Amino acid sequence: MISRKLQAAIAALVLAIFAMGGYLVHLKRKAESITSPPETGALTAPLSGPSEQMVLYLANDADDSLQTISVSSALPGDPGERGRYALHTLIARYLQKDSAHPLGPVADVHDVYLLDPSSAVVNLNAAFADAHRSGIEVEQLSVFSVVLTLKSQLPQLARVRFLVDGKARETLAGHIDLASWYDVGAVASAAAELK
Amino acid sequence: MPKVHAIAVRLLLLMLLVLSSGYAAEPRRISVYAPQAVYQVDILFRDGVDYVGLTDLLEPLGRLESRLDGKKLGLTFNGAEAQFQDGKRQVHVRGNKFDLPSNFLIVDGRGYIPSASIAQFLPRLTDQSVNFHAAARRLFVGSSELHYSAELRHSPSRLVISFTAPVNPSTVIEKNRVRLLFRREALVSSGNDNVSYSDPFVQSSAFTESAAGAEVTVNLLQPATVAVADGGRTLTISAVVPQPQTPTAPKPPASAAATDSAQPQSHPARQHPFVILDAAHGGSESGAMLTPSLAEKTVNLAFARRLQRELDARGVPVVLTRIADNLLTWDQRAVSANTSHASIYIALHASASGHGVRLYTSMLPSAQPAQAAHAFMPWELAQSASLPQSRSTAVALAGGLTGTGLPVRNSAAPLRPLNSVTIAAVAIELAPSGDNVDELASPEYQQKVAAALASTLATLQQKEAAQ
Repeated sequence: MISRKLQAAIAALVLAIFAMGGYLVHLKRKAESITSPPETGALTAPLSGPSEQMVLYLANDADDSLQTISVSSALPGDPGERGRYALHTLIARYLQKDSAHPLGPVADVHDVYLLDPSSAVVNLNAAFADAHRSGIEVEQLSVFSVVLTLKSQLPQLARVRFLVDGKARETLAGHIDLASWYDVGAVASAAAELK
Repeated sequence: MPKVHAIAVRLLLLMLLVLSSGYAAEPRRISVYAPQAVYQVDILFRDGVDYVGLTDLLEPLGRLESRLDGKKLGLTFNGAEAQFQDGKRQVHVRGNKFDLPSNFLIVDGRGYIPSASIAQFLPRLTDQSVNFHAAARRLFVGSSELHYSAELRHSPSRLVISFTAPVNPSTVIEKNRVRLLFRREALVSSGNDNVSYSDPFVQSSAFTESAAGAEVTVNLLQPATVAVADGGRTLTISAVVPQPQTPTAPKPPASAAATDSAQPQSHPARQHPFVILDAAHGGSESGAMLTPSLAEKTVNLAFARRLQRELDARGVPVVLTRIADNLLTWDQRAVSANTSHASIYIALHASASGHGVRLYTSMLPSAQPAQAAHAFMPWELAQSASLPQSRSTAVALAGGLTGTGLPVRNSAAPLRPLNSVTIAAVAIELAPSGDNVDELASPEYQQKVAAALASTLATLQQKEAAQ
């Protein structure tokens, strides 16, 4: 026979467990609301200055190809900023409703760091990778598209590496390697096989 | 009051212990041994009953089609029909009624039967004899069982274990004990599991079995060695002979005439797999969700099993990196390939995007001959020495697939774990032929691709054997 006091203690403990669980969920939501970045998507800031040609390598899921288009725009003088601006413009295309290679709703690139003229680190936002569709071909098209568009702006570029929210990540969405350096020449050769 | 507190604290600790043990528990599985495949199926515990998935159980055994209509599930296995209804015990197999010991279940569109009913249900559907060792969770289908007998021989003392078919157990030699672990062989008890011997070398032997496999343990009084003979049908456990301390004269070379033909061969030729198939993803990592209810990991494993059957049918030795829904890291997959002694590694993927079959090889540059001759290669460059073989294999496979009428493409990709595989390595991504993504799970579609791949791999194996 369980005494009434013991029953009350067990009931209090169970209630406390549920209350603590609820409080934890509340704290988690609160923390998420503080740390979440503003959902701006890949908006391209207007720049002033003379227009230059920018080549974008656009992926097309329908025929697994990369197609080049030229865009006229004023470009920043700093190479890193110039690369970031080109990738902003590229990703903005993918976020359009009729995109042939849709990305997650707020996909973007945080920064492009140049370690030297031949080595760049692209820091993608979490939405780019987390919401990316999973599959060898779709992931490869995204990576190749970013690398080759960056190369078109930075002619001396020889290798590229990716971070996601400043951290190394093993794969983009379960398939394509995101932890290693990409040889830009090898990417160009492999991309040529796609066409 | 302090007594109440103590009880409450103990109760809380007990709850935590139960919760933590639940999370840490390994999934329980049944090992299935059939003439055409050896595999494992996960056990689903529902309402106090152990269940097994019908697709997991039947797919490796033959041609399976399933039709889900609301709460009703219809199966066609090698032409035999069976009907089930969610929440009902009664099932119809080949037109006859049959009662399961517990209700049939449909979970996430997949049918489950109580594991206790396997021995009664499977023979009715497959028309094959079935022997289920429930306690060990080992299921033997058809004439898959492998028997053994142990005989103690003297002068010198040795235990000779004979098997009804060739075996290749993992052998663990300890100080006074030898353990023979049979993971893939359908070894069953000889009828006398524990035997004691009155011998200065062999003390006793014992047979045990579990879902992980069977084990024969031999307890000894001296350090021992194990030799294989008769093409793997005989294992001989004998005492280690001490080497002479001061050899006075060089030994003559062993000649065939001097060899005792009754003595076991110490280094028998073993048959290594030609192909290692790696069904990508698994466990908590589903890969792509091809449809809201179809995960890539499921298609990959089903396709791997189908390809394995096609290769078996053509006599091509093949192994799988995973035979159940479990997660392997990229490095574990590469290590499996590199230690398998296989000639070709094939990673299997599926995608809802695009059409047909895509073949991928590593994007690394090929190693120069001087580099390739290096004893050590960095882990992330290990594939570079085998890249020419990988590319020629991919070209051959692509050529074999053209007969299917499907779009086929062959290219390089920065795909894990290809760069770390030391043998010829190709990844295959299966996409639907048209817009119907469900086609990826259809037996007809998978069969068409698997047959084409298996034919090419059989040709490659013949070429390798000829060389």
